[in-house]
Amino acid sequence: MKTWRRAGAVVVLAAMLAMTGCGRDDGAGEEASAPVAEGKATGDITVWAMGTEGEKLSVLADDFMRENPDAKVTVTPVPWDGAHDKLATAIAGKQTPDVSLIGTTWMGEFAKTGGLDPTPADLIKKEDFFEGAWNTTVVDGTSYGVPWYVETRLFYVNSAVAARAGITAPPKTWEEFKSAIVALKTKGGAKWGVNLLPPGSAIGSWQSIMPFVWSNGGDVATGGGFTLDSPQAVEAYAFYKSFFDEGLAPKDLAQATLEPAFLKGEIGAFPSGPWHIGVLKEQGGADKFQLWQMPGRQSATSFVGGGDLAVFKDAKNRDGAWKFVAYLSRPDVQTKWYQTISDLPAVKKGWDDPALSGDPLLSAFGKQLEDAKSPPAIPTWEQIAAAIDGEVEKMTKAGAKPEDAAKAMQQRATSIGTGA
Amino acid sequence: MTAVAPGARTRRGRSGPRLRRAAVGWGFALPFTALFVVFLAGPVLASLLMSFTDLRSADVRNPFAVNIVGLRNYVRLFEDELFVKAAVNTAIFVLLGVPLTMVAGLAAALGLNSGLTRLRTVFRVGYYLPVVTSIVAVAVVWRFLLQPDSGLVESLLRLVGLDGPNWLGRSDLALPSLIVMAAWRNLGYQMVIFLAGLQAIPQHLYEAARLDGASGWQQFRYVTLPSLRPTLLFVGVIATIGYLQFFEEPLVMTRGGPLNSTLSVSYHIYNQFGFGNYGYASAMSYLLFVAIVLLSILWFRLLRSSEEVSR
Repeated sequence: MKTWRRAGAVVVLAAMLAMTGCGRDDGAGEEASAPVAEGKATGDITVWAMGTEGEKLSVLADDFMRENPDAKVTVTPVPWDGAHDKLATAIAGKQTPDVSLIGTTWMGEFAKTGGLDPTPADLIKKEDFFEGAWNTTVVDGTSYGVPWYVETRLFYVNSAVAARAGITAPPKTWEEFKSAIVALKTKGGAKWGVNLLPPGSAIGSWQSIMPFVWSNGGDVATGGGFTLDSPQAVEAYAFYKSFFDEGLAPKDLAQATLEPAFLKGEIGAFPSGPWHIGVLKEQGGADKFQLWQMPGRQSATSFVGGGDLAVFKDAKNRDGAWKFVAYLSRPDVQTKWYQTISDLPAVKKGWDDPALSGDPLLSAFGKQLEDAKSPPAIPTWEQIAAAIDGEVEKMTKAGAKPEDAAKAMQQRATSIGTGA
Repeated sequence: MTAVAPGARTRRGRSGPRLRRAAVGWGFALPFTALFVVFLAGPVLASLLMSFTDLRSADVRNPFAVNIVGLRNYVRLFEDELFVKAAVNTAIFVLLGVPLTMVAGLAAALGLNSGLTRLRTVFRVGYYLPVVTSIVAVAVVWRFLLQPDSGLVESLLRLVGLDGPNWLGRSDLALPSLIVMAAWRNLGYQMVIFLAGLQAIPQHLYEAARLDGASGWQQFRYVTLPSLRPTLLFVGVIATIGYLQFFEEPLVMTRGGPLNSTLSVSYHIYNQFGFGNYGYASAMSYLLFVAIVLLSILWFRLLRSSEEVSR
């Protein structure tokens, strides 16, 4: 007993000693970027990339090394599953690579750790990129990376159902969109006009509701704080909810049933990113669908996601790293990257190549990218997104009122805060 | 004086070998102790300290530059609507799941222990198989079984003219579905333990009971159950600890949905760590830990003390 008490005292003492060093500094505002040395890249450059990007990036790295013979790029593929924690650990231990691919919604969190290097304005030009994509790198007014590839959301529509419904041109406004979805169900013979919730769970449903909010002139947050309960947002929620109330959208679609049901014509339409072109082709639906742009109100804004490239403060070869990033942002390299793994270019000029501009499906995505937004890059975004998902679920499945959902979203987002 | 002298002599005389023995002992214990301190005690202590701060993932480069918030994290827990929901779900899971699993496990063990002598091995393997199967494989199979339009459960219900619901998609049915699945998955383990317990009961007790004219139920009630008390305690404690940490099933089957009806405390902790709220998530982990300790003590009280009283 006595020894325990002594051990306890030691622990408390150690804790007190450790905590006397505690206390937050006042948050820093904008951060200035340092220029990058001129000339070719030299030395070792270590890069982490996830998923297919990680497996195939060495193709571009080889080209880069041919142009910069004194540089040696080492690419380490990292699985997406553990990537977030691996990056967080690397930043904490100050054992980072020079460059890494970073999911757009993680930028706020990692920039806030102080582990990312501000984008050098002399090397990277903001105007070269799609605005919505560029904004994913901006945290507290400073850009901490560059968009590498992008994706945005359009409505995939079953062509046969649309033809039966007598729809000849994609709907332009919310009202047209609503009557088109009704027609897909009543005249087109689809069991469900549209599927709006991700199958299996409501996780990620913020990606399908926020475009309506943005299109209606609302936003997640403005300079003054969260605006999830603005009148524009409430109106958008009500519009979204009406598809569920009127039996146009399923409330609980089981996993892995979306694509088969869509191709069979049981589901008329669903919003998704460019990867669904490939998924539908694989399931034998190559020419069975068409794409609609987001319907408009104040604007016709979609969601933009993708991946950003960032250079770390603890990089051993900062200049070489930024040169590699700048190389990956060159329009011709962006086009080659599309040809390698079908990642859509984040650089506007990358779309000039006929491989992209000549493809009607892809150019639909390219057109939507001109009007696409991302959520604010704040460290707490994932948590706020989960809160929005929860309220959207309550609204669509349990019949909560849009006003109440808006109030709950706003209240939960405010209590979570921006992590500043 | 004379009484002290021998003691002093022995102490002096044996101090060399004793020291050496202590050194050897510590030498053997060192690998474990070092690993335990570095990889277990250290992080446990660190997370306890963390739970009194507002540490977030953005602070990892500078973990001491955080504010000490005292017990605020713990107070916040009870204002967190999701945490309360998760706690209720976990309580339901434990209160229904533990008895269900124990009854099913005991029933399977009794069946194997008495009747089915021929196919005993087949049944033993059959009941134990889910325990050694990966949860991911189990989840995939169960999702197929419970599929609303084409699942096996739905097809069976249709045979008798019923229309099955979307088991995992309805907020009132998802948790019960997971409870049944968890009971099915864990009863094999309990069955093995119960079987060992049953075989340790001396046959002469049953003979004596039969001579006294006890029926089958009376034999079970007055011979089997009391003799199984230590086994019941063990199984109960293990099951309670396991079910309180209920996590894999919702993670792979429902991701906590629909409407958070399958969100468990462990899952909520996992989410909060994922969101980077390290301080808050640590506080939640310690609360879960305290709940596990208290429930384990309760089990010991329930089963151990009455044994002592009956003596």
